[in-house]
Amino acid sequence: MADLDDAELIAQVAQGNERAFLALYDRYASRVHAVTLRVLHDSMLAEEATQDTFVKLWSRAHLFSSERGSPLLWLLTIARRTALDHIRLEARRPILSDSNDPDDMWQTIPDGDSLSEESRWRALYFAVQTLSAEHRQVIELAYYQGLSQSEIAETLGWPLGTVKTRLHAAMKQLRREWDR
Amino acid sequence: MPRNPHTLFRGNIPAYALGALDAGDSAALAAHLKSCASCRDELVAYQTLSDSLLMAIPLQNPPAALRKNLKTKLPSARKVSNGLLTWSFGQSALAIGFVALLLLNIFTLLQMQSFQRQQARLSNQLQSEQTALALLSYPDTQTLLINSQNVTGTVLLDKDRNTAVLILWNLAPIAGNQTYQIWLIAPNGDRTSAGLFRPEADQPFTSIPIFSKQDLSGFKGLGATLEPLGGSSHPTGMRLFNVDF
Repeated sequence: MADLDDAELIAQVAQGNERAFLALYDRYASRVHAVTLRVLHDSMLAEEATQDTFVKLWSRAHLFSSERGSPLLWLLTIARRTALDHIRLEARRPILSDSNDPDDMWQTIPDGDSLSEESRWRALYFAVQTLSAEHRQVIELAYYQGLSQSEIAETLGWPLGTVKTRLHAAMKQLRREWDR
Repeated sequence: MPRNPHTLFRGNIPAYALGALDAGDSAALAAHLKSCASCRDELVAYQTLSDSLLMAIPLQNPPAALRKNLKTKLPSARKVSNGLLTWSFGQSALAIGFVALLLLNIFTLLQMQSFQRQQARLSNQLQSEQTALALLSYPDTQTLLINSQNVTGTVLLDKDRNTAVLILWNLAPIAGNQTYQIWLIAPNGDRTSAGLFRPEADQPFTSIPIFSKQDLSGFKGLGATLEPLGGSSHPTGMRLFNVDF
């Protein structure tokens, strides 16, 4: 199974192959859990959301279409939505503190010449960390807490125009880093 | 000076890519994207960035027990999701409730329609019996006996009021696509339809009032035949009886 690529594994999962499923789990469980923990900021809830994400992978593998993105992106999108659903179900207020514990693996900024996807994601992570507190906050609430601009304005007590300006500026800055 | 709509839409693309645009703005931008290639390109760039934010998170290993737990959940998860829809208990209960309510409504409606039909039938029966009684009490009413192979009965006839009542006993039941049709018979043998009827299911006799718009004195008798449902323009089926005035 280890030599199969992600799309091949998903096709096997769609056929009900548990070994293919576990191979995908071993490959991406830490990424999925990172997303659910990032959204939920609670290890118990994140564990539940991670489990739900993989149960959905098992039951919906036949719906995956490679034309709409990579298997990993599909899986992480499910993870984000599942975690956001947990927030809505629990009616929990979004957590505003920035608790991005840097992982040991990403302590060093990648070599500028590296073109690997992994290094680009790592660079993006650090680009998010270098945003101003206000800019990082709107990205956090919009993307990782699933709030709309109006909800962010209400949550932070900022004028809607300020939220729009800061969100736009933050994304523009991240894009510059991403395109670099 | 107001900004042009294209600039406004373009400014909303980063929020749209994050899924943070409010519903109204989001719908407007989605409509604009259909006709603006440069905004679509801009969206692709921001969407890629937005997707990459999912990858730009330090890895976190879940507890080892999670893998073991998942293995036990797989078969039932597949069984539950084999269909196109997976409903929660609450959704299922709500759906069952709606279906039960719908069935109850349909049942009530059918019962009401049945009562209405029964009421209409009883009302017709009452009218014909009252007409028969009224004719019986009238001194000039003719009483004609029907004694054919298929049916026995009586015709109460009042030519002055162009009214008659047929009282038929032991009528044979007929198929759903059939009806009995009454004919007024002219001296030259021509037949004019005077109405349709079916045997009363729960009565030993059937009474049928005839209120003719034509002068009954101009006819020499009446009869009835078995016809297709809806009646015919002239007799086509089995003759039930004929009686002369």
